[in-house]
Amino acid sequence: MADSNEFEPKIAAFLCTWCSYAAADLAGSSRTQYPPNIRVMRVPCTGRLDPFLIIKAFNMGADGILISGCHPGDCHYLDGNLYARRRFVMLNELMQYAGVEEERLNFTWCSASEGKRFAGVVKKAVDRVKTVGPWMGFDGQGFSKEEGDLINEQL
Amino acid sequence: MSNYDSISQEISEIAKKLLKESKVDKVIGFGLGRFTKEITPIFIKKAEDADRLIFNKNCEMSLTKYLLNYKGEKVAIVAKPCDSRAINAYLSEDLIKREDLVIIGINGCPGIEGNTACEECNIRNAVICDYSVGQEMSEEEIQAEIEGFEDEIDKMNQAERLAYFQNEFERCTRCYACREACYVCNCEQCFTDSNKPKWLGESVKLNDNFTYHLMRGIHMAGRCVNCGACEMACPEGIDVRAFAAKMCSAAEEIFDYKSGMDPEQKTLLSEYKVDDSEKGFME
Repeated sequence: MADSNEFEPKIAAFLCTWCSYAAADLAGSSRTQYPPNIRVMRVPCTGRLDPFLIIKAFNMGADGILISGCHPGDCHYLDGNLYARRRFVMLNELMQYAGVEEERLNFTWCSASEGKRFAGVVKKAVDRVKTVGPWMGFDGQGFSKEEGDLINEQL
Repeated sequence: MSNYDSISQEISEIAKKLLKESKVDKVIGFGLGRFTKEITPIFIKKAEDADRLIFNKNCEMSLTKYLLNYKGEKVAIVAKPCDSRAINAYLSEDLIKREDLVIIGINGCPGIEGNTACEECNIRNAVICDYSVGQEMSEEEIQAEIEGFEDEIDKMNQAERLAYFQNEFERCTRCYACREACYVCNCEQCFTDSNKPKWLGESVKLNDNFTYHLMRGIHMAGRCVNCGACEMACPEGIDVRAFAAKMCSAAEEIFDYKSGMDPEQKTLLSEYKVDDSEKGFME
């Protein structure tokens, strides 16, 4: 039996609407199970993803992030994900330099037909974040319940 | 390496000539303040004032940002090698016009006192200039100058790095002096002032301070020329340059990109290659 006190991470997942969101849809409709730890945000394209959104997710207490878009070359907008790729490589360098564990940052590609793969990706991302434990914020103080409520209110 | 006095003299002479022949409306350079004896940016409009222009070890600010205030005017500017890269970056972003600009570039920059960026700087000659002053430094001389430099933070482990930056940013009062000093920070509205979306809280908390520096850091990716003006401007002595410097070294290492080397160059994040690195991606 699973331990009920086990740490369940909250992962902010930014999925591109044309591929990865459709993959998540496919995983759902084909009843492939994946952990319920991700909170999906649907974006038109990974190229739309401002790195600020990812930093802000950590600022507001996400334990990790998952970003998934179309495979390079398959972008609905032709080259959105190629711009995004450079951005994520640089962001990854910056976050690791700042002392954020690399396990919290999950970047990958998932096409619309890869429902099974998407479930695997989520499982892997959740496992990775579980190995480093809860995110205590940039100040290392953790997030109180009041803060959580305040954030929910703001949203 | 050139010495400060000869550079100062040459700058004054060139400025005098330019103003006498009315090739430019004003010369932006470094000089002593009217009341204090500290270095401030000065704007020379008359040839007889050109002697006030000097260059010494305290000329820490980046003058490039002033060019944005004088769009459409003929301006001459004194540029350290890092400033000349910043001018290139402005030219590549179409913020200023080359024909309105006379650049007095400093070759063989002897460095600025207290600026840690100078210890790792390998661009010691102006990359763009109309008039050059000082003696050009050869590649070997530059290498000898920066030999033995190592990034201390890079050698720490993850927890130590987080603790180091927490300790640094705890002192930050978010006065935004680093933003004002930086040539990159020329947005009409800064993200720190935006309230929809609201990226940062108003009060000075460590979580938000850290977030501010990270956000500034990612804005520096592919634009920062590692001049160290932010660090020199910080009243709390925080290592604010660390993230930007990391972005510079990472861009060079991964994408073989160095900002501000060529006026035709595109910024790092505004172009891509099909076979770009996927460093840090999940399998």
